[in-house]
Amino acid sequence: MYEFVTGPLLWISFLIFFSGTLYRIRRLYSLTEKREVTVTPPGAAAPPAAAVSAEERKLNLVVSFQNSLLGKHPVMAIVSTIFHICLFAAPLLSQAHNLLIYESWGISFISIPDKLCDVLTIIFLACAVFFLVRRLTVPKVIAVSSPYDFLVLFITAAPFLSGFCAYHQWLDYKTVLTAHVITGEIMLVAIPFTKLGHMVFFFFVRILIGGEYSFGSGRRAWKT
Amino acid sequence: MNDSQQKKAEAEKTRAVLNHNQAKIKLCLEACASCSICAESCFLFNNNNHDPRFMPSYKVINSLGVLYKKKGRVGTEQLKRMQDLVWRNCVLCTRCYCPLGIDIPDLIALARSLLRTRGVCGVYPHTLGAPEEEYIMEWDPQELSDPDEDPDTQR
Repeated sequence: MYEFVTGPLLWISFLIFFSGTLYRIRRLYSLTEKREVTVTPPGAAAPPAAAVSAEERKLNLVVSFQNSLLGKHPVMAIVSTIFHICLFAAPLLSQAHNLLIYESWGISFISIPDKLCDVLTIIFLACAVFFLVRRLTVPKVIAVSSPYDFLVLFITAAPFLSGFCAYHQWLDYKTVLTAHVITGEIMLVAIPFTKLGHMVFFFFVRILIGGEYSFGSGRRAWKT
Repeated sequence: MNDSQQKKAEAEKTRAVLNHNQAKIKLCLEACASCSICAESCFLFNNNNHDPRFMPSYKVINSLGVLYKKKGRVGTEQLKRMQDLVWRNCVLCTRCYCPLGIDIPDLIALARSLLRTRGVCGVYPHTLGAPEEEYIMEWDPQELSDPDEDPDTQR
């Protein structure tokens, strides 16, 4: 069983993950078109920038901060950021994972000590519990929650929970390790086809689509 | 055109609009993490005791989301609820913020377009949240004339 999930099943899940992600990017791209960004007629001088005093600049910064996610929902913003950092850092920088990659292909990423990886996993699981409690208790979140949202949270947390159990050798090690690999593969496969697809959507939309909240100038716009 | 023919024609129009926007609707609904962060960016949500029915994501999921999932096949009661959601509970001020980048106003505008294909339209005083008896009023065209203007020149 272990040989199968770490062999053919792992390749299949990687294949589905990468091809599904590419398909999703392709589909998003096909729904957009190049955006016209010219605001002054060709050859005409751009209007001079209005003089802004230091106080106005300070006020702008304060208002911008108050209206930002960090200003309005500091706890949610911080927990969400930590959750996503741990989500990528713990599996990618784990010494055990890097050792497996090195044994297979002779390459490895930078790795962090096992103890630190364990701490990142605990922080990640604590954040997942925060999201679960929030989904069960906050009226505005309950209003838009469905069993599917709980399933998506479970799919995300399961590889970390099983990995934590495997590292501490809780329960039957071989079974827990197999469960860890299977849950990881389920998460990989789920990314392009479920709500976890927001991983692709977020970077694509916030970087490529021009708008008030885009990172940078945003060269594309949704097709009408 | 009899009643059933009209309903059939309306359903076809709804399907046409849904089909044209299908890919975008699907992607946006799939991308929504139901995080509810958009809630406080809506002034109507803030001014209605944080009633979730005023939350941008709730309005999209329960109007466009339902129309998309049911391929436009929804009953009169549901259409009425959607009408309230996208016209009474939303003024389309476009200030809603989604951390994932979903264009919520665009989706609500699309929900409005879909509802129009079913003959459901917005009545603007609805957006003030007033009960019907308070905003349906007799109006006198005379009241609209500029009081400073010479009455003779108006004729």
